[in-house]
Amino acid sequence: MYKYNHFIPLSMYGVKNKDIIPEQWYNITPDLPEPLSPPRDHDPERSSIDLLNRILPLEVLKQEFTSRRYEKIPDEILRQYEQAGRPTPLIRARNLESFLNFTGKIFYKYEGATVTGSHKINAAIPQAYYAAQEGVTEVATETGAGQWGTATALAASLNGIKSKIFMVNVSFRQKPLRKRIIEIYGGNVVASPSTLTDYGRQILKKEPEHPGTLGIAISEAVQYTLDNNIRYLMGSVENSVITFQSIIGQEAQKQLEIEGEEPDVLIGCVGGGSNFSGFVFPFMKTDVEMIASAASEVPKFSKGKYRYDLIDTAGILPQLKMISLGADYVPPPIYSGGLRYHGAAPALSMLVNNGRIRTDEVTEEKSMEAMQIFARTQGIVPAPESAHAIATAIDYCRNHENQGKTVVLNVSGHGLLDLSIFGD
Amino acid sequence: MKLALYFTFPYPSRVAFDKFINRTLLLNYEYVELGIPTEHPYYDGPIVRRTHGKAMEEFSMKLLEDTVHMIREKGKKVYALAYCNLFENDPDGFMSSMEDAGFDGLILPDLLTDYYSIRKDIASSVSSHGLELIPFFNSTTPDASINEILQLTNSWVYFGLQPSTGIRVPLDIPSMYSRIRNLCGEREIIVGFGINSAGTIKELRKIGFDGIAVGSAFVNSMENDDQVAFDLQIKMLESETHG
Repeated sequence: MYKYNHFIPLSMYGVKNKDIIPEQWYNITPDLPEPLSPPRDHDPERSSIDLLNRILPLEVLKQEFTSRRYEKIPDEILRQYEQAGRPTPLIRARNLESFLNFTGKIFYKYEGATVTGSHKINAAIPQAYYAAQEGVTEVATETGAGQWGTATALAASLNGIKSKIFMVNVSFRQKPLRKRIIEIYGGNVVASPSTLTDYGRQILKKEPEHPGTLGIAISEAVQYTLDNNIRYLMGSVENSVITFQSIIGQEAQKQLEIEGEEPDVLIGCVGGGSNFSGFVFPFMKTDVEMIASAASEVPKFSKGKYRYDLIDTAGILPQLKMISLGADYVPPPIYSGGLRYHGAAPALSMLVNNGRIRTDEVTEEKSMEAMQIFARTQGIVPAPESAHAIATAIDYCRNHENQGKTVVLNVSGHGLLDLSIFGD
Repeated sequence: MKLALYFTFPYPSRVAFDKFINRTLLLNYEYVELGIPTEHPYYDGPIVRRTHGKAMEEFSMKLLEDTVHMIREKGKKVYALAYCNLFENDPDGFMSSMEDAGFDGLILPDLLTDYYSIRKDIASSVSSHGLELIPFFNSTTPDASINEILQLTNSWVYFGLQPSTGIRVPLDIPSMYSRIRNLCGEREIIVGFGINSAGTIKELRKIGFDGIAVGSAFVNSMENDDQVAFDLQIKMLESETHG
């Protein structure tokens, strides 16, 4: 934990990690302005909701349907959070302010400071912990950009269990270092579509070079879970994941309070919505402006529809009401794999649909420019996904140059394993 | 503890429905919910879902009126459990037909989700036809929405315990109850969805719920025309709630 402006550990000011890391996760469900539409079965013959009993760790499933506003974080998870680099710093981006001639303040919450380099570890640790507590010896999941797979591999190892990671084929090919780090952490990673599941084999038979999608990788991970009687860890979209990620926003609240600052706007990037929702939902009772930044190439906010849709392409999991481009949507192979998902978390979708949260869509070219600006001003190479939020923040600052606004953005991860975006 | 029995009307056939409902009428329970069959019973589990298709084939308003009349004569209150997708083009017409059929009120499981934007219009249409609107919500309904629907209504409350009928996912029921009781005050809370055993009923009673609603539990015995199993299930429910 660092003092924002000059990287002096806050411990030198008498602030301890435990003063910043919250002791409870925050669940927004009881505070939403209208009810969330419940998950729906789509196969008349069976209950995909009931099937969740065989897919998820039971404690995770319990938190998926809980009405409890605050959930106590077990001590062991708090210990693992601290070992994984929490709290992450909230840093004032003075150089970026100067570069933009911005008269207000820019702060960024830097989730890239976790040991796995992104916010994903926040949701991986509790799920792996609960799975291990229930006697599960292996977990499976999917990964797009590789950040979730990396976090799952480490969280599983920390809790003494194995992990199988289905990585979207195009990312698997684009990001060999991700594959390597997942393996170093003890995970077993395969390209999806794969030959390990019926669903993967069917797709490969039709199209051997299929680039893969997150929807297909989720389907394979869930199918593999059922075939092997293990448990599946969820990377985004579901309510419980959003709740686990609330640690980001709660820490940011305390850090801003210590500095005596109140944000005017919060900005983050959206793939499935976990880092953005975890960052902004704890602020929902204030009137702070919120902007969700997605990829123009996966235009879920401008072209998607708010409707019931499948989470996974194979339709094993229940349908959720969310903003979606359609579960069978095959996104272009942009480098920001974490933003390729066809939908967005139900609570986030509702708040976008009713206008509480504004949206922006950023091209890959513009995000790469933002990545370089941020690297050259702040010294941090952000993840390509996070660079979308930075691009949106830069636009915001340019449009509100002399209004003295306080902008807080979530930089969800670092991009040190994504440098091939700039060419080999 | 009160007991509400749910039947999709008229499942599995007009004759069989009559036979089974008649076997319950002299027993001690308070409410009957008659499910009005629909093509899209979205929030029901597979067991109740499969009753809707067959019931649609046999449904008639005249038979519904006769059935409601017969049940009310035995001193039980009768409610229509209907999805709003049944009447989205003509809510007033539907409410009129429910009023004519003699129902005491309506339970609308999708009112606060898929029809949230027109909830007040529908609530007003229900009451303008002299029917009670039973507020239906579940654990993920926000506090503000629960408070609002409670203010729009005066009756007992239907709390959907599980995300769907006939299934069970792990839940922290005492914590749910405590929140719902705080919001509902003295209002009677009937809890439904996924209740199928004496053990569960004992637990719910101990926690403080005022009653239970059961439906999926006896679909199989009705489908198989197994009167012995049906009687055993209904008597177990009567005994656990009123014994």
